[in-house]
Amino acid sequence: MKIYLWVLVLCIIPFWDFGIQNAHCGSVKSEISSDDAIKLFTDANEKYLQATKDIAAKNLQEAEQKLKGAALQYEAIVGGGFKNGQIYYNLGNAYYRLGEFGKAILNYRKAERLIPRNADLHANLKLVKDLTEDKESSHGIPVAARRIFFWVFLLNQSELTIIAVSLYGVLMALLFVLISFRYAWLKRIITGFSACLFVVVISLAIKVYVEQCVNHGVIITTKCVVRYGPGEEYEPKFEIHSGAECIIEEERDNWYRVYVNVGVKQDTGSETGAEEKVSKDVRRGWLQKKHVDVI
Amino acid sequence: MRHKLSGMIKIYYRYFYILFFAIIIFASTGKTFAQDIRLTATVDQNVLTINDQLKLTVTVYGTQDTAPPAFPNIDGFTLLFGPQISAQTRILNGDVSVSKGYTYVLQPTAKGRFTIGPSTVEYQGNIYSSDPITVEVVEITRSPASQTPDFEKLVFVELSTDKLEPYIYEQVVLSFKFYFQKGLPVSDIDYAAPATKNFMEEKLGDQRQYEEIRDGIIYNVLELRTALFPMVSGELTISPAKVTCNLIIRQRKDRRNTSPDSIFDDAFFDDFFSREQKRYPIERSTRSIHLTVKPLPEHGKPGDFKGAVGTYHMEVSTRAQQVKVGDPITLSMSVYGEGNIQTISEPVLILNNERDFKLYPAESHTQITNREELIRGRKMFSKVIEPQTTDVKFTPAIVFSFFDPRTGQYKTITKEPMPIIVEAGEQEVPIQLTFSSDKTLLLKQQPRILTHDILPIMTNISSLQEQGNRVYKNPFVIACLSIPSIAVIASFVITKNKERLQTDTGYARKKRAHAAVKRRLEGAQSILCQNRPAEFYSCLSKAVSDYLADKLNIPPASASEDRVGALLRQRGVGDDTIAEVSRCLIDLDHRRFSKEGGTEGERAHFLRLAEGLITKLEKQL
Repeated sequence: MKIYLWVLVLCIIPFWDFGIQNAHCGSVKSEISSDDAIKLFTDANEKYLQATKDIAAKNLQEAEQKLKGAALQYEAIVGGGFKNGQIYYNLGNAYYRLGEFGKAILNYRKAERLIPRNADLHANLKLVKDLTEDKESSHGIPVAARRIFFWVFLLNQSELTIIAVSLYGVLMALLFVLISFRYAWLKRIITGFSACLFVVVISLAIKVYVEQCVNHGVIITTKCVVRYGPGEEYEPKFEIHSGAECIIEEERDNWYRVYVNVGVKQDTGSETGAEEKVSKDVRRGWLQKKHVDVI
Repeated sequence: MRHKLSGMIKIYYRYFYILFFAIIIFASTGKTFAQDIRLTATVDQNVLTINDQLKLTVTVYGTQDTAPPAFPNIDGFTLLFGPQISAQTRILNGDVSVSKGYTYVLQPTAKGRFTIGPSTVEYQGNIYSSDPITVEVVEITRSPASQTPDFEKLVFVELSTDKLEPYIYEQVVLSFKFYFQKGLPVSDIDYAAPATKNFMEEKLGDQRQYEEIRDGIIYNVLELRTALFPMVSGELTISPAKVTCNLIIRQRKDRRNTSPDSIFDDAFFDDFFSREQKRYPIERSTRSIHLTVKPLPEHGKPGDFKGAVGTYHMEVSTRAQQVKVGDPITLSMSVYGEGNIQTISEPVLILNNERDFKLYPAESHTQITNREELIRGRKMFSKVIEPQTTDVKFTPAIVFSFFDPRTGQYKTITKEPMPIIVEAGEQEVPIQLTFSSDKTLLLKQQPRILTHDILPIMTNISSLQEQGNRVYKNPFVIACLSIPSIAVIASFVITKNKERLQTDTGYARKKRAHAAVKRRLEGAQSILCQNRPAEFYSCLSKAVSDYLADKLNIPPASASEDRVGALLRQRGVGDDTIAEVSRCLIDLDHRRFSKEGGTEGERAHFLRLAEGLITKLEKQL
């Protein structure tokens, strides 16, 4: 009886709706062709490399122009719907060299979702984060959890999907063999595969939820005032700076309600109470949309 | 002997010192007592039945050397006994308070509302009087056994604000009071604070605990206070606060039920055994409070007003008196007073010439100095300014504007410029002292070109493939994923069916019955035209009876019309069909053994009849 239940559950999994809000039926076709994307990418890379030479030669004005040109070309590729981790990474580099840390972090984060195991990307991201004014608070995912559930952080959505589909295919084949030939020893293998498939599917669901259903944003302007409410008439609560990351919780007109995950300093009036005041409510506030770009 | 005598003298001296200091303490505090004399009258209950007794206590606070207060004028009661006198001296944090209570026990003589008149006492030529108390004597409506305490009177809560029409950002004190009758054991108090959306809130002091007299009854009061600052104007609502607790009521057992000669029937055992404790869970909610928050008036609003509402003062100071061009001068500006200290904005510097000084953003530090009655505090701003020329003789004037809700007017504090001496510096170009905190200014001027540290770009064209398409969004993939599932389910169903056909004879016969009857009917059809009626009817009869035997899982020989009819009825086949089946079986048997074979048309009719019957049965079985 148990084996029949497993068969039923595993047959349902492919049709399971994981609450993916953005999962419209039909793939998004990029407006830009692959050849055009490669051409623009090559041109932008060339400009970037020339800019680095100009920087070495202290021709800062020319370097700036070339970096802006390279950034525009990278933006054109991703704006045309052609998404690739390399492009976001290079775009992050271009913005970093232009001093726009917020946009650099934004693009590194986008790249991280596509090429999560790239060591260069992590090194650059860490460097830029260190240069930003607002330091991350310690409320991130613990290192132990990152080690234990390493596959969630090392694989991107597509890779996890491919693994899930492969496991599913093998499992179905094994079930077919079991039903047809009744090899008892297959049951244990099927149980193992089922458990693996279950873990991978749950991991994929979590990843999709975190990346697509929770709106993460990065402050892209140099300084931005977070207020108590969605309007200029509300009192300022605190200030955050370029590169600070936030979670967008609500949208109203031109305002976002955000939760910032950085060390917010807010005066409390008493020396002892300073730490306890930095609670979730303190980190929450409203800011104008123009200050934030969504990852 | 001498030794003993000296020991006694020492003891006397010790008593003398204690007495001497006690006299000094009471003498020194006597004046204080005299200044704070008051007289109160309280009762233990203000609604009682005619069988109850009322305990009236008249207490003189502040002194113990007065004559007993005059017994108040009381209608509807007779004095049972009293007064019982109790004197109390309390020393709390060095403050001595004394009181003397006179307790009378009264018996009501009639039903109705009665007023216990004010009691008076004369002390040092002054006359002090208590407030009158209204007491209601009611009919006995319940048996003593079913009496339960009136919790509404014992415990209640109140939520109030010190003002109902504040200005936006003005400080409003929200007070929650939990009243429970003095001496009433209350435990497990759980407080749910009201929701204060659209307010910024600050806790005011610690929980306060005191006594209050309401309608002549003394209540213990727990008070929690919060300072609220409305952040929007308009009609705002503070939702009700809730409190839950357990009341522990000691109830006397009905002594009529006990044996009169019981040895335990005395006061001692009554106290220890004849009372039982009951816990009554209590939940109390306050009413919600509606505030009308007024916007700040536009008339008279200063240009430098930045939203500070309250009562503020400002102090300004600087240490630097003599500086060089480009040297930093730190202006310390301290704004203090009552209001929302945290949201106070930086005072404004009035510059005669913008080129005289280079200004840096101020650093601020907030300190709440008092949270007891209202939020009072100080916000200190340290602003660095750099004189740019030697012509500068004064620091800029500093202006701070706020709205005072008490007067309903805007006020501006102006601090006059302070004299400074600026000498020519060694470097004409001003140095950047606060590079780290003023990155934003630099970034605004021109993009910073960073020339180090980051790793190079990626140029691998072979891996430049579209990564944005999500596999799980592709309908083709979803469709393909369903194929293995369908195949597995199909193989599972087929295998199970095969197994059942092999193991379950009844099921196999039932499943195969239709195919078998079709074959036999085809055989009968072929015989129909050969003019062999006996063989035709035999074939047709066998086809129908075998079909029924297979469907009903009975031996073909026992497929008689009675048994078949009974079994078909059990399977829910309609009576018309059953009758048709019986008739068909009888007719076929009759024709089978009859010498008259009938015409070919008749045989064809029987064949169609059997086919129609089998189609009907196939639908119903």
